Amino acid sequence: MARDVVLKVENVWKYFGSVIALKDINLEVYRGELLVLLGPSGSGKSTLLRIIAGLEKPTKGHVYMDGEDITDLPPYRRDTSMVFQSLALFPNMTVYDNVAYGLKIRKIPKDEIDRRVDEILELVKIKELKDRKVTKLSGGQRQRVAIARSLVLHPKVLLLDEPLGALDLKLRKELHVELKRLHEEIGNTWIFVTHDQEEALTLADRIGIMNNGMLEQVGDKWDLYEKPATRFVAEFIGETNLITGKVKEIYEKYIVISWKNINIIAPRVSGVDRGSEVAVSIRPENISIGSKPITQREGTNIYKGEIVDEIFKGSYVTYYVRLKNGEVIRATVLSKDAEYDVEDQIYIYWDYDKGVTITD
Amino acid sequence: MSEEKGLSQITNNTTKNLIKLIRYVLGNIPGFIYILIMFYVPIAILFAISLTKPSKYVVSWEFTIENYVKVFTEATYYRILWNTFLIVAVATILLIIVAYPIAYYLARVAPNIGDRLLLFTIIPVEINYLIRIYAWRVILGENGFLNMLLISLGIIQKPLTIFFYSWFAVVIVIIHEYLPYVVVPFYLNLRGIPREIYEAAMDLGASRLQILKTITLPLSKPGLLSVIFIVFIPTLGEFAIPSLVGGQTGLMLGNLIDRYLSQFNLAIGATLSFFLLLFSILVSIIMIRIFGYEALYAR
Repeated sequence: MARDVVLKVENVWKYFGSVIALKDINLEVYRGELLVLLGPSGSGKSTLLRIIAGLEKPTKGHVYMDGEDITDLPPYRRDTSMVFQSLALFPNMTVYDNVAYGLKIRKIPKDEIDRRVDEILELVKIKELKDRKVTKLSGGQRQRVAIARSLVLHPKVLLLDEPLGALDLKLRKELHVELKRLHEEIGNTWIFVTHDQEEALTLADRIGIMNNGMLEQVGDKWDLYEKPATRFVAEFIGETNLITGKVKEIYEKYIVISWKNINIIAPRVSGVDRGSEVAVSIRPENISIGSKPITQREGTNIYKGEIVDEIFKGSYVTYYVRLKNGEVIRATVLSKDAEYDVEDQIYIYWDYDKGVTITD
Repeated sequence: MSEEKGLSQITNNTTKNLIKLIRYVLGNIPGFIYILIMFYVPIAILFAISLTKPSKYVVSWEFTIENYVKVFTEATYYRILWNTFLIVAVATILLIIVAYPIAYYLARVAPNIGDRLLLFTIIPVEINYLIRIYAWRVILGENGFLNMLLISLGIIQKPLTIFFYSWFAVVIVIIHEYLPYVVVPFYLNLRGIPREIYEAAMDLGASRLQILKTITLPLSKPGLLSVIFIVFIPTLGEFAIPSLVGGQTGLMLGNLIDRYLSQFNLAIGATLSFFLLLFSILVSIIMIRIFGYEALYAR
């Protein structure tokens, strides 16, 4: 299905002096979606957002909005609005004046300003704080003012740069629900930058993973989790066992990888030759544990091991299992099925198809 | 202000809080004593002197309120107070007009090198101020540059002395003297405004001029209040500059106090000091009423 692209970033590079902040970024943002750019600090995600906002100019490359090249337009000529990490509320003003700021600049009639400000404050549920000074608000309330100040302008694309960074976990979780509701009610396009993978998974329709100035993978959150394209993506989203080794044999559907004297069978992907180095990602929840070797089943990797540690995490337990080659594999089991102890000799097994072969 | 609040909070409670109250009072005694000895004892002595009968060389210790009656009913003193206020007000306004763009430039346009450039505005003022005053004589004095220029242009026939011995000269020298004390507070003030605030305003559609008007200037209030307390009010007591370059029109209250003191008329000098102090307090109160206490430290 061809989707309606509202914003397109094409071959964008950014240098700060000799430091490369962004390397050849290509990104299409669909109308009405909530895209999360996720990556560790210094990965370039904020820089990319600032380029889209017009606060930075790319060294090379272009940004298009609805087909129009906006690379050189200043921020105030673009149909984007930014919610800053520090929120950047105007401390000399009330909630009303903050939210009305962009409208006043646009010389919109007073009664329309009042109507639109009321409407948006109602939407973010802080109407009763209208005449309060923003310096007298709590963290969550300030957050709502910042979002209202941008949303009131009906921007085509709303940009949010880690806006929840300063809040405590409980409040963040409340606001995640609020933000999702707001996005659904308003229906415009949002690009949300964060380093918190849980936040990304909660909010996103699609996620773009950034690392070292590169956009490693963009996709549906399930795709990213189940089919990571790079080792970084595999490790950054969720937990995983990342096994690297050399390809020993190649069959029609599977390859055999030698991993420190243990053979592992994983799905075959294109571009793999005998002797080339590959990685296999196996999520801990896809690994099962048994006290006996289950009868040799088709298409299953089975290994003997010893439990060296267990970590109870409430609804599930993570076992650390040492295999005979000395490496440790993590396997998670629902707490109600967690019947093993440290030093137990057990077997771990997983289907060949549960492994994801990564060639980056 | 916070002490009053603290006290009322404590006193409206019962015995349990009595200990708190005693602690509170005891804990604050050293601070009170320090401030008392360093500031209020001298003022009290001065006040006592102002209540004595004027006599040469010594304090008579015969108490009277005559001095106050004399000072507060004499039109001359009000006239000179008004002159003092006018000179300092004009100088302060001009100082802000000159200093604010410098501070703005250092903080916003050249933020990376602002700290170092700031030194360049301070260093010239490190030169002894008598020398700087005499430097102004080369420009404004009887045989100075300005007179020569006006004569050569045929605008005046004979050199004028009013450029150098006048309120105009006092204003100029005050500006020269106090410029760094105005640049620095505004610089610190403007530097404290996060860059993202400007970016947000720009993102919301404001032009540079609109940002200056709606964001930067209103957020400069702490700097302005600092300037009022660091420059404007202390300068009301200035006497050295007007006595050197003030002439007749540049007479300030400080000169008068200086004159009485050098005639060893301590009583009238002290009374005039209180006359000026009352005015300074009045100005301070008005300024705090306008801007609020919080403008001093918060934004």
